[in-house]
Amino acid sequence: MTSRNFEDVAVGMELDPVTIRPTATQLFRFSAATWNAHRIHYDARYAASEGYPDVLVQSHLHGCFLLRTALGWAGPAARLRSFGWRNRGIAVPGDTLTCTGTVTACRVDGSGAGIVECALEERKDDGTLCAPGTAVLELPREDVRP
Amino acid sequence: MSALDEVCERVRKQVGTVVRDSLGRVSATEFQRFAVAAGETDPVYFDDAAARAAGLPGAVAPPLFLSSVLGWGAGPSDGELGADGTGDETAGLPLAGLRLMGAGQDLDFHNPVYDGVRVVRETSVEDVALKDGRSGPFLVITRLRRFLDESGTPLLSCRDNLIARPEAGE
Repeated sequence: MTSRNFEDVAVGMELDPVTIRPTATQLFRFSAATWNAHRIHYDARYAASEGYPDVLVQSHLHGCFLLRTALGWAGPAARLRSFGWRNRGIAVPGDTLTCTGTVTACRVDGSGAGIVECALEERKDDGTLCAPGTAVLELPREDVRP
Repeated sequence: MSALDEVCERVRKQVGTVVRDSLGRVSATEFQRFAVAAGETDPVYFDDAAARAAGLPGAVAPPLFLSSVLGWGAGPSDGELGADGTGDETAGLPLAGLRLMGAGQDLDFHNPVYDGVRVVRETSVEDVALKDGRSGPFLVITRLRRFLDESGTPLLSCRDNLIARPEAGE
């Protein structure tokens, strides 16, 4: 990963998109790692009883995909200040999820830190919005020697 | 007054009350399993040397680790789980018997979460509202969780809306 400086970024710049195809195995392991026993994430028959086509990608896993998109673009020298997302549409194993983002604000705060805000979106192949989000990152500044 | 109205009133009485609990010691293995499951490859989650080179105290947890884990103790036995497999995720709120759904979170990150840190969680309800949807009434609970280390250093804050609905068929 390359570092990105505050001075390299401008409002309207697009983040590098990230494409993810979650699998049933990934969902199972994510449930295990978060101690989440909800059958809707690993029991397809149960998910069908609630009217869903298959087991569902966890709310927080959608958040992880969006956040990875922002952090991967920002590079290793960035510091995450805040992040939020909303779950709007379901996704199931085999779906192709593409996360995109756009820089919506750049400012230097009172302490001289370079702050960048990004709007993020995770969509399925057919264009359905699964999760919008926002991330606020501090990027290193060219003119500030560490 | 419906059962949901009563739950709403009970939750409303908790607005402003902070419930503090100790989540125990976070280990690198726990947050690295989370990282692997989420598909993360950034070395700062796995490699102490890489994390130190990035100015961190050692390998750190992915940002969403603390707010994604649903249970920190041994948890309920199988027989105590609901039909949908859920157990003790009500986090001290009087929501037993309701189906809970997360709809997203808003997080502020204060300090990194690293191997061995003992985490304290402070949970409070900021607001509760009874709403009418296409599939019947539901509650929206705005919850704030602050995660700190034992000495009170803030790690992260997470605000989220929990949607609570009656069990299907009730």
